[in-house]
Amino acid sequence: MNDQITQIRAVGQSHPRREAREKVTGRIEYIHNLRLPNMLYGKIFRSTVAHARIVSIDTSEAAACPGVDMVLTGEDIRKIMPDPHFGVMFHDQPVLALDKVRYVGEPVAIVLASDPNVAAEAVALIDVDYDELEPVFDEMEALSAETFVHDELKPGIPEIQFLKGVRDTNVGFPYQLRHGGDVDKAFEEADRVFEHTFRTHPSAHVPLEPPVTVAEPTGAGLTLHTANQSPSFVRYEISRLLGWPQHKIRVRVPYLGGGFGAKLWIRLEALVAAAALLAKRPVKVSLSMEEQFYTITKHGATLKIKSGLDKDGRITARKCEVFWNGGAYADIGPAVAFHAGMTAAGPYDIENVAIDSFSMYTNRPVAGAMRGFGHPQLIWAYENHTDMMAHELGIDPLEFRRRNILREGKEHATGTALNTSSVEKVLDRVAERLQWGKPFERGEGTVKRGRGFAIGIKASIAPSTSEAIVRLGADGSATLMCSSVDMGQGSDTAHAQIVAEVLNMPVEMVHVVHPDTDVTPYDTGTLGSRSLYHMGHAARLAAEDAKAKLEELAAEVGAQPGSNVPIWELFARKNGMPVGHVVGTASFIPDGHIPPDPMTGQSPHITPYWMLGATGAEVEIDTETGRVTVLRMINVADTGTQINPKIVDHQISGASIMQLGQTMQEKVHFDFGQVTNASFADYKIPSMLDIPQIETSVLDGAEADGPFGAKGVGETGSFCVSSAIANAVFDAVGVRVSEMPITGETVYRAMRAAAGEPLEEE
Amino acid sequence: MKDVMTQTIDFTLNGKAVSAEIQGHWTLVDLLQQGFDLYGARQSCGQGLCGCCTVVLNGKPVSGCLFLAALADGATIETIENNEETLDPVQEAFIEAGAFQCGFCTPGFVLMTRQLIAEIPEPSEEEIRLYLTGNLCRCGTYPQIIEAVQKAAARMRAA
Amino acid sequence: MNAFELALPDTLAGAVSLLDPEDPTIRVMSGGTALMLMMKTDVFHPTQLISLRRIEPGYSQMGLLPDGSFRIGAMSTLSDMEHDDALAGFAPVIRQTMKLLSNVRVRNVATVGGALAHGDPHMDLPPVLVALDAQVVTISPEGERTIPVAELHAGYYETILSGNELIKEVIIPPQHARRASYLKCTTRAVKDWPALGVALTTDLDGDTARDTRLVIGAVGEKPIRVAEAEAVIDGQILSDKTIAEAADAAAESVETIEDELGSAAYKTQLVRVYVKRALQQVANQNA
Repeated sequence: MNDQITQIRAVGQSHPRREAREKVTGRIEYIHNLRLPNMLYGKIFRSTVAHARIVSIDTSEAAACPGVDMVLTGEDIRKIMPDPHFGVMFHDQPVLALDKVRYVGEPVAIVLASDPNVAAEAVALIDVDYDELEPVFDEMEALSAETFVHDELKPGIPEIQFLKGVRDTNVGFPYQLRHGGDVDKAFEEADRVFEHTFRTHPSAHVPLEPPVTVAEPTGAGLTLHTANQSPSFVRYEISRLLGWPQHKIRVRVPYLGGGFGAKLWIRLEALVAAAALLAKRPVKVSLSMEEQFYTITKHGATLKIKSGLDKDGRITARKCEVFWNGGAYADIGPAVAFHAGMTAAGPYDIENVAIDSFSMYTNRPVAGAMRGFGHPQLIWAYENHTDMMAHELGIDPLEFRRRNILREGKEHATGTALNTSSVEKVLDRVAERLQWGKPFERGEGTVKRGRGFAIGIKASIAPSTSEAIVRLGADGSATLMCSSVDMGQGSDTAHAQIVAEVLNMPVEMVHVVHPDTDVTPYDTGTLGSRSLYHMGHAARLAAEDAKAKLEELAAEVGAQPGSNVPIWELFARKNGMPVGHVVGTASFIPDGHIPPDPMTGQSPHITPYWMLGATGAEVEIDTETGRVTVLRMINVADTGTQINPKIVDHQISGASIMQLGQTMQEKVHFDFGQVTNASFADYKIPSMLDIPQIETSVLDGAEADGPFGAKGVGETGSFCVSSAIANAVFDAVGVRVSEMPITGETVYRAMRAAAGEPLEEE
Repeated sequence: MKDVMTQTIDFTLNGKAVSAEIQGHWTLVDLLQQGFDLYGARQSCGQGLCGCCTVVLNGKPVSGCLFLAALADGATIETIENNEETLDPVQEAFIEAGAFQCGFCTPGFVLMTRQLIAEIPEPSEEEIRLYLTGNLCRCGTYPQIIEAVQKAAARMRAA
Repeated sequence: MNAFELALPDTLAGAVSLLDPEDPTIRVMSGGTALMLMMKTDVFHPTQLISLRRIEPGYSQMGLLPDGSFRIGAMSTLSDMEHDDALAGFAPVIRQTMKLLSNVRVRNVATVGGALAHGDPHMDLPPVLVALDAQVVTISPEGERTIPVAELHAGYYETILSGNELIKEVIIPPQHARRASYLKCTTRAVKDWPALGVALTTDLDGDTARDTRLVIGAVGEKPIRVAEAEAVIDGQILSDKTIAEAADAAAESVETIEDELGSAAYKTQLVRVYVKRALQQVANQNA
C-alpha cells in the first residue's frame, strides 16, 4: 500500500465525470437503449375520465389484432400479485386500475406485442365503459368535498399505521408541528399581524429520458432493468407484491437520462414485472414524453402563512397551513408534507410556531418529490411573505431578515439546533453579491428594473441507510459497489474520489459498479441530496475497512509495517500469483437521529445536516406587456467541503435553471382533470434563450460530520429562485404576484389593477 | 390494420455504404436503433423540439424522429458515432467545460455545435444561443455548453 | 403510425396526377415535419404519401426574375431562404424572421410550399409573405393559377387549394424602397409559438406612409390584414400620434381568442404594443 510516497489529493479536485467519453460519443448505457432477444413491447391504455367505476373493459378487438401477444387488465395482474397495490408509504396505487379509475391518464390495460407500433395501434381498439363519479381537483375543495378519492386509507409503512381504516377523507396525511408557547396568545400580544395566501402550480419533471423499464423472467426469478433512482426499494416492493423472497428479484440500473425525482420508488416496474411473468417473455415499456405528464408531477399547493411581530420588527409568532395537491395516489406525497412541513416557518428564530401540513388526495395525476422535496413551494410562500412584511413595516428586507434569522447554535422550530450551517453567512453573501444598499440602475421609459433576494432552509432526509463494498485488487485497483444512481449529478465521480482519497490512489484506479441488487448492497435511494453524505460516508468507511484488511494481509505475508512491498507482491505471496482481493464493507446510518414527537414535531436531533441556500435576482420588466426578463441570478449555497468543485457549481446552476423554468414559464394545465399541454410544444422548459447570467457563490466550510466535510447540494440551487424573482418584480414595479408562473400577463394584470384600471377578466 | 410493409434502402452511414430493410413507418431514429444498434440519436420529445434525435442528413442536421427512413434512400447520414477513435475539439471542449450532466441531450448538442462552428467560425454568445435554442437540456447545463462552444470554436480557428 | 404507401414522383406534374381530390388520406409530403407530427399523434392516417423529394431541382431554387420580382421554388427549405443572399438583399425581413422561427433542424427540412399549404395559423412566415404581397403559383390538372398569399388561407388549418392542387412557387413583387418589419411576441419561453406576430411593410415617401400592409399572425384562424390600422397610417407622417392611433385601431379591430398563451384581453394589449413597436421600427429604419 505504501509504494507511493506522496499523498494523492483526490477530494477537492474537479475531475471530469468518469463517464464523460461515453456521454459525448453517444455510447453511454441507458435502459432506453436496451433490447433483449424475444422481447415484447408494452403500450398502456389509459383512463379518459377523472373519477369513475369501471363497468366493463372490452379488450377483444385489441387482442385479436394481428401481432398482438397479450392484453392485460387489472384482474390479470391479480393472478400473479394477490394484492396488486404498491406505494412507498401507502399501498394505494393499483398496478392497473381495478374497480375504479381516479385520474385521467391512469393505466387501465396494457397491450403486449413484438412490434411497438402494433402495440400502439392495438391500444386504440380497447373500449372501457365507465360509471362516472364526482371528481375533485383542487386541494382546498378536496378538504370539504363530499366525494372521496379513496374509500379508506391504506397505510403501508409502520410509522403511519394509525391511519389504517380511516374513511371519508381526502386528507392522506396530516403533519403538525408546535413549537414554543401558545401561538394564539402570541398573536394576541403581537404589535402587528400579517397573513397571506400563496399558491403554486403543478409542474412536471420531464427528464429527457422518460421512465422506461425492461423486465426479464429468468429461470428462478426476475431481472428488472430499469431507469430508477431507488433500486433497493424496487427489489423490496416487487418481492412484496409477488410474495417472493427478495433474492429472486434482481434490479439493475445503469445511467439515467435525468431523474429529478421522476424515477423514484415504483413507476413502471410493478406493471412491467407482472406483464413479463404473465407473458413469460421479456417486456419493455418506454413512456412517451406525453405519458410523463400523466405519470408524475410536482405538487401544486396552497400555502397560508401568518406572522405576529413585536414593535421592533421581531417575529414572535407564526402559523403555517399548507395543503399539498398530491393527486390520486400517495406516492411520496405524505413525506413531502411531513418533510417540507418541518421547515415551513423558514430559517427564522421564532418563539411560537404552529405548522399544519396536509397531503391531499385529488383526481389528478400523482404528485411526487421533485428536486427540492416541496421546499421551493414553501420558500415561495415564506420569502414573499417576509418581503411583504418588511415593505409594510418600512424596514429594508435585508435588515428585516437580520433581525429575525436563526443565529448560530439557536434552535430551529423543530427543536434541533443549527450545527455548522450559518444563515447569517448565507444572507450576508447574497447581499454582498447583489451589492445591496448600493445604487442600482432602475431602467428608463417603459422598462423598469428591480432586484430581490430570498433565503431558504432544508433538512436532510432522516433516518436513512447506505451500504457500500470496496474491493481492493492485486492490480492495485479498487472497485466500489453501491446502489447510488448516477442520473447526471455526478455521484459515481464523487464517490470514486472519496475512495481514491482514502486508499491514496489515482481516481482512475477506482471502478464504480452500477446498482445491481445481486451485487451492490442496500441504499435508501438517490433522493433529497442525501447520497454524498450517506453514501459518501459508506464508501469512505468501506475503503478504510479494505485498507485495514490490506494491512492485515501485509502482516500475514510478512511485510513490515510501512515497507514498500507493492500490492501485487502481497497478493502473490499469499495466492502464488498476483491475484485476489481484500473486501471492505460498511453500513452507514447517521448517529443520533431522534424521531420527532408526532404531536409537536419536536426533536433535538431531527436531521444529520441542514442545507441553506439563497438566490439574488435582477429583473427587467416591459411595463407595456408585463413581460419579466431575468437578467442576473446569483445562487449562494452552503455546500460543506466540495468534493468536486466544478460538479458542485454545475449542480447549483442546473437546479436554479430548472426552478427558473417553473417560476417563469412551466405549468401543467388541466381541463376537467385532462392535461391539456402534455408536450414540449405547449409545456415550455427553458431553452438557452431563457436563461440569464448565472453566478454561483459557495460557503464551503466543512460540514461537521460530513465525509471529508461534505454534504449534498443537488437541490440547494432550486430553493430560492422563485421568491427572489417575485421580490425583484415587486422592487421594479411595486406589484406582488402570489401565484406562479410569473408570466407577463400575471404581472401586467397586477400592474393594471394597482393603477385602478384592471384588465377585463374572461 | 394493413400488413407491415418493408422495403430496402441504400445509403451512406458514417462514411460506409450500407443497406437496410425497413418498415414504412420507421423514422431515422428507428432505422439507426433497430437497423444498426446505434442509440446516440434518441427520441425524447418526439416533436423535433428537444434535439436529442439530431442526425446529420446530407450535411445538414435534421430531427431524426420526424424524418421517414424511407426518404433516406440514397442519402448520406452522419451520427454521433461517426468518430469513435478520437474525440474532436467539440467533444473535448464539452468534457473540459463539464457541458453535460445526464448526457441524454449531449449527442444532439455536439452535432449541432459542429454545424454551428462550420457556419459561424467565431460565434458570439447571442449567435450560440439562437443556433442552439432548439436543443433542450433538462439538467440546465446551458452556461457550460455556451462555454464549451466558445472553447471549441477558438481551438478550431487556431488549428 | 399506420401502414401507408410512399410514392416518390420525379416531376411535380407526376405528383399532381397521383392526388385524388376525393380522398383526403392521400397527401403530399414536402419537408414532412408537420405531417409527421400529425401521423405520430394519430391525427392523420394516410393511405398514401407522395414525397416531393425527387421532383425537378428547379422547384427548390430561387432568384430574381427579369421583372424585378423574386421567385422562390416551393420546395425551397426555410433554411435555403434564410441563407440566400439575394433574397436577403431583396427582402431582409425574411432572414430576420427565420432566426426565431422554429429551429435549425426544422428549417433545414420544412419547405415554403409546405408551410403555406399546411394552413397552420401559428406560423411566422405566412403573415410576412402577406405583408410582402407575395403570391403563390399553383399547379393542378386544370392547369396553373396565381393566388395572393393573402387569399390562400381559408381558416384554421384550411386553404383554398383543391385536393389535387400543389404550390409550385412563391413570387414576391419588387419591394423597391419599401420598409418591412416582423415582430414576434411569445408569452412563455422566448422561443415558442408566437402569441402573435406583427408583419408590416410600407412605402415611406419622404415621411409619408403609403400602401401600408399590416398583418397580424397567430391571433386568429389565419393571418389578419388590419385595414382599419392601415387607413390610419396611409397618407400620414409616422409621428408618435399616428403610430399610437394606428395601434389603438389595430387593438380595437382585431379579434383575439383566449388560449394557454394568454387571455383575449391581454392579447389585445399585445396587439396594441407590438403594432406600435413595428411602426416605430419601420419609422426609424434607414431609408
